[in-house]
Amino acid sequence: MPAGLRTVILLSFVLALGFLLIILSCALWQNWLPLLVALTFVLAPLPNALFSHCGADEFAADYGDSGALDVGRFITSMIVVTGFALPTVLAHANVIDPKACVMSVAGGGLVYGTILAYAAAFSQEDSDYD
Amino acid sequence: MSLPRANYDPRRVCLNPFPEFTFGKRRRAIGVYLAGALFTLANWTFLDAAILSAHAKSPWGDQPDAPPPVHVTFVDWIPGICSLLGYLVINLIDKDRIRGDEGLGDSRAVWRARLILFIGFALMAGGLAGSVTVLVLKYVLNGYPEQFVYYGYANVSQSVAMMLSAVVLWISQSTSSEYEYNLTL
Repeated sequence: MPAGLRTVILLSFVLALGFLLIILSCALWQNWLPLLVALTFVLAPLPNALFSHCGADEFAADYGDSGALDVGRFITSMIVVTGFALPTVLAHANVIDPKACVMSVAGGGLVYGTILAYAAAFSQEDSDYD
Repeated sequence: MSLPRANYDPRRVCLNPFPEFTFGKRRRAIGVYLAGALFTLANWTFLDAAILSAHAKSPWGDQPDAPPPVHVTFVDWIPGICSLLGYLVINLIDKDRIRGDEGLGDSRAVWRARLILFIGFALMAGGLAGSVTVLVLKYVLNGYPEQFVYYGYANVSQSVAMMLSAVVLWISQSTSSEYEYNLTL
């Protein structure tokens, strides 16, 4: 299990780095609007996780994915793009600093990448079927 | 008596061959993700223009006291709302009903489904045409500076991206089974 332990330590380090970037992007300019990015990227995997159990019976497996799975994927994609677009729009309207925009986007990408990598690395129960 | 194969079925009026992508079984998921990203990008593009217009303060450019000559008003929102309604209408229709060869219901149901699909496409096309109209009539013809013509460009790109999103979602959902590689309409 040393490989799994190393993965956990690396992922938690990257997650902390992402949150550090987001909080720095808020605190350096005393403008706490980029904190919405952290909320957005934490919420992003939630629709996929909720809707992934809707199409998982043995009858739907023959016909591919169901509509509920598609709804989950669509909403997840919407939230992820919102997380990247929100600081860009705020920086474009001069509400936040452009450097804060870059930092919060990078931090949000790190947080979401951590969540994705964690789900990909520790999904034993799905790997039997796919 | 056996039916002819679907490749040269003479009863099919319009059969578009669709190139077979090699994403495997993730094709549908990738298409849906891409459609959601395009949909959100479209709406954020227009919201960017609206927020920018709301934050356009009185000293813009190098004029000291001139107010901004134009703002995003409700007229700019109408094409986006039309496109959004058309998007919803198109995606709420069952795809098998339109094809009409699955034995689902009678022919009148197929006819009604095609009518509603036509209304959806007309709404989306009307949104695109309306956004171009707003760009030309409100921004280009009045000769505003480039900073304000951007509102009209954002409006057009919103409609175009929403239409692309509808196309991607339609294709990715109609090629779900491995026996059906054709985009049939």
